[in-house]
Amino acid sequence: MKRVLGLMLSAAFLLSVLAGCGGASKSSDSGSSGTLPAQVQKIKDRGVLKVGVKVDVPKFGYKDAAKNTHEGVEIDLAKRIAKEIIGDESKIELVGVNAKTRGPALDNGEIDLVIATFTITEERKKSWNFSDPYFVDNVGFLVKKDSGIKSWKDLNGKKIGVAQSASTKKALTEQATKDGIKVEFMEFATYPEIKAALDAGRIDSFSVDQSILWGYKDDTNEFLPEKFAPQEYGVASKKDNTELAKFVNDLLAEMKKSGELDKMFEKWGLK
Amino acid sequence: MDRFAAFKWQALFTDWRIFVDGLGRTASTAGLALLLSLGLGVLFGMLATSPYRSGRSVSRLYVSLIQNTPLVTQIFFLYYALPHLDVVLPTPVVGILGLGFYHGAYMAEVFRAGIQAIHRGQLEAGLSQGFTYAQTMRYVILPQAAEIVLPPMTNQAVALIKNSSILAMISGGDLMFQADSWSASTGYYGPAYLTVWLIYFSLCFPLARLAKHWEEKSARSRSGEVKAA
Repeated sequence: MKRVLGLMLSAAFLLSVLAGCGGASKSSDSGSSGTLPAQVQKIKDRGVLKVGVKVDVPKFGYKDAAKNTHEGVEIDLAKRIAKEIIGDESKIELVGVNAKTRGPALDNGEIDLVIATFTITEERKKSWNFSDPYFVDNVGFLVKKDSGIKSWKDLNGKKIGVAQSASTKKALTEQATKDGIKVEFMEFATYPEIKAALDAGRIDSFSVDQSILWGYKDDTNEFLPEKFAPQEYGVASKKDNTELAKFVNDLLAEMKKSGELDKMFEKWGLK
Repeated sequence: MDRFAAFKWQALFTDWRIFVDGLGRTASTAGLALLLSLGLGVLFGMLATSPYRSGRSVSRLYVSLIQNTPLVTQIFFLYYALPHLDVVLPTPVVGILGLGFYHGAYMAEVFRAGIQAIHRGQLEAGLSQGFTYAQTMRYVILPQAAEIVLPPMTNQAVALIKNSSILAMISGGDLMFQADSWSASTGYYGPAYLTVWLIYFSLCFPLARLAKHWEEKSARSRSGEVKAA
């Protein structure tokens, strides 16, 4: 009995340590014009902006393994923010994230911002700050050419592979109910796994945001004409980093107004 | 913002069914895989101690192939590679076969050790009474080996339950998968992972205690034998 008690005590200790890491640091001064808010100043003093980005989404966040470089419109956006804060767009540290790691990485303070095709949802807004959307994408469908599937309604009774971040699943479930068809979902942690499942015939359609799907288009598969469920991407920050969130949002608004943001997306063939 | 905030727990309790579904899948997969591994364990454990050379070789091949490759590669083989040979096993079957064969190899070693722990004289006595080899195994050796193998067998069951969480990687619908999926969509990973951690612990800890208890009991009774002799 004593041993059980000791075990439970050490478990409780472990938990309190885990919970304690979440401690928030409250900043005092929001700053007037000319000076940076304290949270932003802290990043400037550190001399580097740490951003979580995708490494497997061509045109958005992609890591070229051969050249060991990150590229994509979200990388450009990250650099632009670094330039605004620190005055030098190269003062940036890019950390590869996926749907599962990006939230915890923000909470742990490992990164300052997430710019990684992060869809804004009501539930997520309770956990993190999101900027206004910088891009709107739709869910698309990639099917095998020899499957005979030609439209969304042909997916009735079929299996759809989605990424483990169920904004897609939820949206498609609603659409299916509306159209009176039934679909089944299988979730995977990474995009290459969904592609492997499509190739293996484990799923009938690979359905994630269309911009991501382009990276997996090849000779054996094709897009369905339909696309649903607009997904709004936002820049996310830790919940208590409100000053940083406002700073980023103001910058985005400015870039939208001046047309700079549009140009950034045009450069990558996105609109 | 606290990663264990009250509203996140509330969301988890609202969606409790998802986690219960996952637990059900974990329990059924682990249960059936355990039966399979026991069957394979007895079979290959007996082959490993059999007088037939080819039987011993087959058993050794199975055990070394399985024990020297990661479980995840075996699961991926069943899930991603077999379909290219036109064998599409349903995901639950992949789980049962993958875990069953993996732990079967360890069970085989457990049974081999158990059988070899029984004094050779027992086998000779059985054979001299007119029993066949199989009959001697069934009525003389295995009942005695059972007591010895019970603790390590139970430890394998614990390992099997924990390893079933690997199904999360192939959209297996098990407890770990449901926690992953739910926390990726809501972002409330704190309560999700803590809850499944507790569930796995409360499944495995009693089993591990039981194994320890049997081990101590068996050690006591055997030391008693020595004294009596």
